[in-house]
Amino acid sequence: MASFKRLETEFPILDSDFQSFCALRGIFTVQDFLIHDLQSLVADAEQQPSSERFMQAINQVLYVIDGLHRPWLNGVDLMEDAQKNKHALSTGCEGMDFLLRGGLQRGQVTELAGPSSSGKTQFCLLTASTVAYKHKGGVIYIDTGNSFSAKRIACFLNQISGPASEEMQPRILQDVMNSILCHSVFDIFSMFDVLHCLGSKLKNQMCRGDNDERLIIIDSISSLITPILGSSGSQGRALMVSAMSLLKKLAHEYNLAVLVMNHTVGGDGGIPKPALGESWKTLPHVRLLLSRDCGSDTYHVSLLKHPSVASGKAAKFIIND
Amino acid sequence: MEVGRLPISAALKGKLVSAGYTSLSLLSSLSPSHLARDLNISENEALDILKHAPLDGRIDTSSGHHVINGAQTAWDMLHEEELLTRITTSSVDIDNILGGGISCREVTEIGGVPGIGKTQLGIQLAVNVQLPVHCGGLGGKAIYIDTEGSFMVERVLQIAEACRDDMSANNALSQNVHAGQVGMQPKDFLENILYFRVCSYAEQIALINYLDKFMSEHKDVKIIIIDSITFHFRQDFEDMALRTRLLSGMALKLMKLAKKFCLAVVLLNQVTTKFAEGSFQLTLALGDSWSHACTNRIILYWNGNERYAYIDKSPSLRSASAPYAVTARGIRNNVSNCKRIKLM
Repeated sequence: MASFKRLETEFPILDSDFQSFCALRGIFTVQDFLIHDLQSLVADAEQQPSSERFMQAINQVLYVIDGLHRPWLNGVDLMEDAQKNKHALSTGCEGMDFLLRGGLQRGQVTELAGPSSSGKTQFCLLTASTVAYKHKGGVIYIDTGNSFSAKRIACFLNQISGPASEEMQPRILQDVMNSILCHSVFDIFSMFDVLHCLGSKLKNQMCRGDNDERLIIIDSISSLITPILGSSGSQGRALMVSAMSLLKKLAHEYNLAVLVMNHTVGGDGGIPKPALGESWKTLPHVRLLLSRDCGSDTYHVSLLKHPSVASGKAAKFIIND
Repeated sequence: MEVGRLPISAALKGKLVSAGYTSLSLLSSLSPSHLARDLNISENEALDILKHAPLDGRIDTSSGHHVINGAQTAWDMLHEEELLTRITTSSVDIDNILGGGISCREVTEIGGVPGIGKTQLGIQLAVNVQLPVHCGGLGGKAIYIDTEGSFMVERVLQIAEACRDDMSANNALSQNVHAGQVGMQPKDFLENILYFRVCSYAEQIALINYLDKFMSEHKDVKIIIIDSITFHFRQDFEDMALRTRLLSGMALKLMKLAKKFCLAVVLLNQVTTKFAEGSFQLTLALGDSWSHACTNRIILYWNGNERYAYIDKSPSLRSASAPYAVTARGIRNNVSNCKRIKLM
């Protein structure tokens, strides 16, 4: 959405006469042009002495705008894309996979909320290990609470790969663990930087055709958003929405699954509800609520929102030591 | 709008958008004076904005692993974790459930009812961190941030003397005196504890902000103990939403310090009652949002007449309980005669 001044170097037809003509009407950038009434602008342009040049300039701007929008897709294209690219990633937990009809969907953002010590980090580590091992895919783990435990990942990998007593070959373990990348971020702007770099990197990889990233995990996005949400002004909410739209864009374009963690706060009657408020509820594609029986290894998860499965279903699973 | 993601003030963002710079790529090839003229701001402010614009040279696409800046693979972290030593708590039982002691690069929250021994544990850790590595410490200094005024220097001296006695007893037993190592005296222990007294929540937050700069100058600090993190946030805080924001911001800063300087952060917390599942239960203070803020959580509680420590939350440790005792020499394993004194 460049200003006309900058477009002049590329398209000399947008010369200073045209720029002053537009400036009189409050149009300085392509964006202003878009929201201005095109009919009245054309009518005004025809009244001017150099109307032909102005009409050419207007057409040029329209051409620039056309180049900016994404290509159209119809239902058949979307179906093909879904069948070819957007498979589900198994999480390593049968109960969870059953609830989600296969696992985490690529191209979708899944939120898991739960009270403290309900197993969210354990679930993240298990999913990361499963995706890295079974799907041979890269995992980007964005950690905000220094809770990434490589030891636990190794433990899960040993469990997944073979019977209890057999340890994985060090070489295989190294290859699998090298595909899990962990970033520590401590504020939302650093997270934007990381996602931005990731986007550029994936774009380059896509051109070369060797894209193997499968999953982004953010543990937890609520600790990045809580410090900015709720203060006067809507900056916090704007950043939250902006973060989610960036994640959804990455998920859709590069066929990644995104898993974000949220915490819970007290709701009516003492029942925990997911944090981050009402505007957050519409943002993720799939929402899950996790809880754990006190002192045991059994976890309960219920589905709050899903694009294609009825909500309200629940499942139980066990994560072993 | 991509410029919404820049960490600059809302007014500057508004100026950028109204001048037509709605995406970050438009900023990348601009000179500060040009931007300053366009936006009608000073050159310093323009420089500040451009600092945050993405630089295309930041991604190293030539390396085999395509690692983005600052990322580490799980394999490297596994080796790092194996090398990290932990700080002993002087109670073998607690050390066992903690996998060796309090670990670095993590924020550990310890909470319990009044009188259970939180400050005692804090002081014990401040002394233990100074022990050499083969004795269970890290050979570093401690920062003790006191918000309640419960730090007693005489008690620190007592614990330091007991520590010195234990160390020399161990050295005599195992003949394990390293060449040139002089035994630590209690005075040395006291010298290596850096004490800050904080009297309001604003001071507390200001101090934590300042710690980043302080730590770059004092790289030998290996533990930060805050006793207690709750005190200034419990009384007279009318705006709960503000409290939640301040606390989560503070937690993130402490996490960053722990990771950046590879030290342990120990936060001591108080208890409150919560109405859950039809009854009132005792939980740690500062609310639900805070309970997610730390990496590990240890709850200290009474079981009959004995003190117990319970791991409530940890990414890599199993939930377990261990008994301990507070003795004249500091925190030690529970021996049957160190029980709660019943007031008749």
